[in-house]
Amino acid sequence: MYEELVNGIVDLKKDLVLKIVTDLSKKGDDPLKILEECRNGMTIVGDRFQKGDYYLAELLLSGEIFKQAMIILEPFLSKEREQEKAGTVVLATLKGDIHDLGKNILGYLLKAQGFEIHDLGVDVLPELVIQKVKEVKPDFVGFSALITPVFEKMKEAEEMLKNEDLRDGFKLMIGGGVTNDDTREYVGADFQTIDAMAGVAYCMKIAKGE
Amino acid sequence: MPKETMTSKERVAAAIRLEKPDRVPVAPLLPPEPIAHLAGMTQGQVAADGMNTVEGFKKIFDEYGGWDVAYGGPITPDQLQAIGMYPMKMRIPGKDTDDDDIFQLLEEEVMKPEDYETICDIGVEKFYKEDLLYRISDMTPKDVEKAIENLMLTGVLYLEALNARNINSLFFVYDNHPFFTLSLMRSLIPFTEDLYYNPDIVEKAIQRMADDLIVKNLQPAIDSKSMGINAWLFIEERASAFHYPPEIFERFWWPYTKKIVETFWAEGIVTIFHLDTCWDKNLKYFKELPRGSAVVGLDSTTDIFLAKEILKDHLCIYGDVSATMLATAKTEDVEVYCKKLIDEVGKDGGFILGSGCAVPPDCKPENFRIMLETVKGYELNK
Repeated sequence: MYEELVNGIVDLKKDLVLKIVTDLSKKGDDPLKILEECRNGMTIVGDRFQKGDYYLAELLLSGEIFKQAMIILEPFLSKEREQEKAGTVVLATLKGDIHDLGKNILGYLLKAQGFEIHDLGVDVLPELVIQKVKEVKPDFVGFSALITPVFEKMKEAEEMLKNEDLRDGFKLMIGGGVTNDDTREYVGADFQTIDAMAGVAYCMKIAKGE
Repeated sequence: MPKETMTSKERVAAAIRLEKPDRVPVAPLLPPEPIAHLAGMTQGQVAADGMNTVEGFKKIFDEYGGWDVAYGGPITPDQLQAIGMYPMKMRIPGKDTDDDDIFQLLEEEVMKPEDYETICDIGVEKFYKEDLLYRISDMTPKDVEKAIENLMLTGVLYLEALNARNINSLFFVYDNHPFFTLSLMRSLIPFTEDLYYNPDIVEKAIQRMADDLIVKNLQPAIDSKSMGINAWLFIEERASAFHYPPEIFERFWWPYTKKIVETFWAEGIVTIFHLDTCWDKNLKYFKELPRGSAVVGLDSTTDIFLAKEILKDHLCIYGDVSATMLATAKTEDVEVYCKKLIDEVGKDGGFILGSGCAVPPDCKPENFRIMLETVKGYELNK
């Protein structure tokens, strides 16, 4: 059944996957094992995306399946805490921008790899990012943008984090269609991408200390 | 110093016909947001009244020495909603947000799965005007009527401003691709689920919408020939291989696109594509269109040099000084990139230099100026 679960995610068979997750959970299977197999499916989808065999559409759909599987698993998982986490990530689209597709995709792909995600949403003031960083002490902070005026807010947030002596505690990532390496330099970020899977690979690499 | 030997109108027409003009024509895509910025107005001012955009356009056209053809123009967010160009909820500066915030669209599932059947039955125009519009906006039918009336009035004054400057608008008629319209109304993820899990109803709706799109836009496009405009704008931002695999593209996008372009071309009307995201893997399909029947507008994420290689002497290319470059790069970098575009994409003609997608609302004035000046001076002074 676990093989069917993994293949179901890879083949984007939403109804089948959700049925298997429901059945296994009710049967009393280890929810961490179910979660792990879902993550294995997501890893294969990610690999296919990086090879160019899968497209953004497949990433989106597998992410939706994973999200819904998590909703089914959540009540069972809460009894099994504490799971080992790969790292902590704070995500936000800063003040002036309300686009969040890219940020959301990165969020659930990272979640599927075992990262704890604190998504502050869109139109977020830099002050709220500072507050959250102080609270959860993340390994990564990620800002997304679809419009260029928000670069200023990214830079402002980075400077505020530096002034608060928080900047050395995490890697700052930026992403979104309008960003490039010049933007990364301008903002003072450690990493930039327009490809969510590249963001996941970066986080995994840093989290493993590579 | 060598002089220009063509008028702006002749230059643009020659480029679209794949000929080599006296120099590459230049046409920045200027919606109201960058016009406000470059003309020293707030975003709220251009969102409230299209006349402010017309005045802003006149100011910057004259201050920056002009360009060859107008792309974009005066339209306010409520007018965009009234005509269905952005069938989405909006945040309007000066109304929903601060006066200096940028106008933005909310990605929400405003169209429900059952609405596909309605679209198949009554068409998207009727569905939008009678139902969806009131899900996304607080406008009354009277407000809608007024918004359209104001749009027409502003349009007349805008065309007068263009005539006074001896340039034309690149198009008069514009529309979104049915695929893009559905993606905006359903929002990206639910629409993607529809494509994979309920493809037949999506296909049926796109078929109906494509037929309706021709009926709605063809005659006005033919009529606009009397103004010297023989092109129309066709917008798609979500169908490329950046988002979807070839089997989705081939089933839901390409056949309808081809049919629409060929129908307009049969009347002598060129389709100006506005294609956002990366189309590298899709470019080969455009070779199937009749020679000269379209202009492929790229936003800087598609490799424009690859596009030139594939579409050379077949379709005119437009683009692609990116929004990021215009907003943040050094002036000399913009100049170097424009020269590269002119030398490599423009060398045999069939090229219009413009912004990659729209000029951004925080464009550096000096970058905007160097883009125009480089195109107008570089080739003639060689």
